[in-house]
Amino acid sequence: MLQKNLLEVRDLRVYFYSDEKRELKAVDGVSFSVGKGETLALVGESGCGKSVTSMAILRLVDSKGKITGGEVIFDGQNLLLLPESRMREIRGKDIAMIFQEPASALNPVYTIGEQILEAIMLHQKLSPSRAKEVALEMLRLVGIPEPEKRLNEYPHELSGGMKQRAMIAMALSCRPQLLIADEPTTSLDVTIQAQILELIRELQKKLGMALILITHDLGIVADMAERVVVMYAGKVVEEGNRFEIFKNPFHPYTVGLLRSIPRLDVERKKLDTIPGVVPEPSSFPVGCRFRGRCNFETGECVQEPPRTSLSNTHAVYCHHWEKVRDSNAEVLKECRAQ
Amino acid sequence: MKRETRRLLKKFFSNFSACLGFVLLVFFFIVAVGAPYIAPPKSARDPYMMPIVTWSSNPLPPSPEHPFGVAGKRDIFYGVVWGTRTAFRIGIIVTVVSTLIGLAVGSIAGYFGKLVDEILMRITDIFMAIPFLVAAIVLATILGAGLDKVIIALIVFSWMYSARLVRGNILQVKEEQFVMAARALGVSDFMIILRHVLPNSIFPVLIQASMRMGSLVITAAALSFLGIGAPQGYADWGALLNYARNWMMGSQGEALRYWYMTVFPGVAMVLFVLAWNLVGDALRDVFDPRLRM
Amino acid sequence: MVFYILRRLLFLPLALFGVSLLVFTMIGFLSPYQRLATFINNPERLKGENVDKLISQYGLDDPIFIQYLRWLKNVFRGNLGWSYVGKGPVFEVILERFPYTLELTIFSVIPIIFLGISLGVISALHHNRVVDHALRIFAVVGWSFPDFVFGLMVLMVFYSALGWFPPGNLSIWAETVVKSPVFRHITGMLTFDALLNGRLDIFWDALRHLLGPIFTLTYVELAFILRITRSSMLEVLQRDYVRTARAKGLSEKVVINKHARRNALIPVATVSGQTVVGLLAGTVIVETIFNRTGLGSFMALAAQQLDYASIMGGTLFFGLILILGNLCVDVSYAFIDPRVRLE
Ligand SMILES: Nc1ncnc2c1ncn2[C@@H]1O[C@H](COP(=O)(O)OP(=O)(O)OP(=O)(O)O)[C@@H](O)[C@H]1O
Ligand SMILES: [Mg+2]
Repeated sequence: MLQKNLLEVRDLRVYFYSDEKRELKAVDGVSFSVGKGETLALVGESGCGKSVTSMAILRLVDSKGKITGGEVIFDGQNLLLLPESRMREIRGKDIAMIFQEPASALNPVYTIGEQILEAIMLHQKLSPSRAKEVALEMLRLVGIPEPEKRLNEYPHELSGGMKQRAMIAMALSCRPQLLIADEPTTSLDVTIQAQILELIRELQKKLGMALILITHDLGIVADMAERVVVMYAGKVVEEGNRFEIFKNPFHPYTVGLLRSIPRLDVERKKLDTIPGVVPEPSSFPVGCRFRGRCNFETGECVQEPPRTSLSNTHAVYCHHWEKVRDSNAEVLKECRAQ
Repeated sequence: MKRETRRLLKKFFSNFSACLGFVLLVFFFIVAVGAPYIAPPKSARDPYMMPIVTWSSNPLPPSPEHPFGVAGKRDIFYGVVWGTRTAFRIGIIVTVVSTLIGLAVGSIAGYFGKLVDEILMRITDIFMAIPFLVAAIVLATILGAGLDKVIIALIVFSWMYSARLVRGNILQVKEEQFVMAARALGVSDFMIILRHVLPNSIFPVLIQASMRMGSLVITAAALSFLGIGAPQGYADWGALLNYARNWMMGSQGEALRYWYMTVFPGVAMVLFVLAWNLVGDALRDVFDPRLRM
Repeated sequence: MVFYILRRLLFLPLALFGVSLLVFTMIGFLSPYQRLATFINNPERLKGENVDKLISQYGLDDPIFIQYLRWLKNVFRGNLGWSYVGKGPVFEVILERFPYTLELTIFSVIPIIFLGISLGVISALHHNRVVDHALRIFAVVGWSFPDFVFGLMVLMVFYSALGWFPPGNLSIWAETVVKSPVFRHITGMLTFDALLNGRLDIFWDALRHLLGPIFTLTYVELAFILRITRSSMLEVLQRDYVRTARAKGLSEKVVINKHARRNALIPVATVSGQTVVGLLAGTVIVETIFNRTGLGSFMALAAQQLDYASIMGGTLFFGLILILGNLCVDVSYAFIDPRVRLE
């Protein structure tokens, strides 16, 4: 990749401290990078630390959690070392964020207009009337009908899809270089979901911004992402571009994730699921964290799995990635034979 | 269930203020039970009547004979000790009876719904439309002197809170899945309320009752402080404080001379209420985090 | 918004009707002799053998609902009987004394709301740190203090010992001025009237006499608002929209003062009706302790002297104020929370 990276996260660690003063390593040594204008998907099961990672990029981890290590390099500067006032200038202006639940992410006591204008006036230092024009333009851009009227409405007067559009308008109103979308469509129904994703993609092209898309829906990933980072229990287990991840997954967890999506083209007797659930951060196993749920587990797995680079873009963290590769080939053969 | 109980108890007692409240309550309970030994009544007549110990109406400061001093010709120590009994008696009777009434009214309203609910709830509103203390004053005055009249007045105007709580719970639980399921199986509403709803609301109701205890005792004492209800000389903290009132007024310059008249019954009263509030607070934290304030 | 208020106003007569019914039911417990007192406006007529005649004349042995209607008619005419304590018709006595209580309530509500909310916010922002613990102790102790105990202690310390907050309404010199014909009575509230008359010295004197009662009521009633604000603020700070506000790059001050606090006030508004109740009840005690004129001390005195007519009239009036107070609370609620407005 020739472009210089817009954002580089290196060895990020976020620990939570519970009431009993125990350390919960919710994010433990996560690294990835995003190029200018690129779309990166962050995938993984519920609770694997996707949201915490994205909040840590903006330094908005809540007071019980602490960023205990790593670097977040954005545009050449380490965000973790900036003073809070500089950080505030970056939030909303250079890096914006959309959240999972549009219903709860908008403040119920202020109108949509007030909430959008606030960001515009803060970062662009525009007069109120000029800021209002920008807000209207944004609302039009995200396809909200009758934007003048909507501007004066409260969140509860809008439907879920409209709320998410308003949220997107708010996030994009300052033309950020990076948009972090944390499961932007999970709470919406399927048709609206497609519309919103299409909208995000369109706007991304129009504004040339980079996108970190957090989701556990691999369908969306296949649709939108150029590169994919797979997380499990607070760690990255595999990363690569879209083709590498979907065609040649080398981590048993990635394989499991892919097998658990229903497909029409390959006939399978039953849908595979990964046995068990993501362990709580308080009971992560030592070494490879996927240990208890993995078919390939051996004694070796109590060691921290090394990073293996398979290409410029593809890397996997597993002791047994070769075995996984072979088993993939076998399954493929079986399918062909049938 | 046993393990759960133990866990909750542990949670309760790991809270400092809960422990403090509990210890205070135990202390007051011991005082109330041991009143005849701590402050033995002089005559065989009603021990709740504070005996007259001097002939002058001037207050006397604490002395070995009267450790808390003398107010209104009566021994403050005796009044404080026997007043503990009065406080417990009023608090417990009023709380228990009004909670039972509230349970009944709330269940009926929630169970029948519609018109019955509407009527009962409007009646509840009306009872709440007069400040508690004012309502209690009025009814106690109308009923005439006597502690029992005070108790009745307090009950009449304090059942509404449990009623509302229970009704709310019933309406809420009625919508829940397991109730729908039970209903689909043909279980009668009455059985559903008895089996599912009431057990679910019992803890909130008890917690609320324990939190109400403080304000009840305050109101009861306020009545005797105003000289309404309990007869002259009845052992009650409010009545003792009433004696203090007149001496506070005319005594500018004689700073703090009559401090003991206010401080002993006042401190007893504050600690008693504090104990209930702390315990109620902690119970709520432990059993029903939703009610937390 | 207008509709919302109108709808609330429509409920007002209904609520008042209910309260009147309740009050009359309580009157029903009285004997006809005692009941007679609740609507005879002229004490001269209550002498001697007249009474029996009056009982049958006023139909006090009639069926109860007829009596109720008759009583209600009297109430509507403003005829609530004769007050021995106030030495005048109950209705007039109440109207004359109410401004004093209103004044005390107004002066207490301001610090209660203001301090309660700001201390609650401070407590929440210092969650589980020293300030928070200190404020919680402060609140729970205040909450446990009966107003008469705290009032007596205030009197003991600030009047007996320090001579700062004198009891009563006014000093004697000021009393003479106020009673003189040159002093115009406009609102009936001493501080405001003093200002309107341009008498700063009297204003100051009246305020000085108010301080003890205000101080007492504030401390005792503050705890409730403080606790509610604290917990609601704690909850709101966890909400997604607060995170959104931070993600916009707003400063912490704006996030808290604008986005969090406004939402945290919604539950505070819903319970502030209870504060009004507490304050009104509090005036009964506090006015008595501090020897003040007012509706509260009037009620206490009437109860002590078994002045039934005054008690009943006063209760009805308290009910009315409370219902109006709750209406104000509902309206303020609608101002804070747009979701209510449109229902
Ligand atoms: N405020 C917090 N306090 C304590 N632990 C937290 C907190 N926030 C997150 N965690 C822990 O961090 C882990 C990762 O949470 P995170 O929200 O990042 O998951 P996620 O991958 O976004 O899941 P989902 O798909 O459900 O959104 C969780 O196991 C959770 O227990
Ligand atoms: Mg998440």
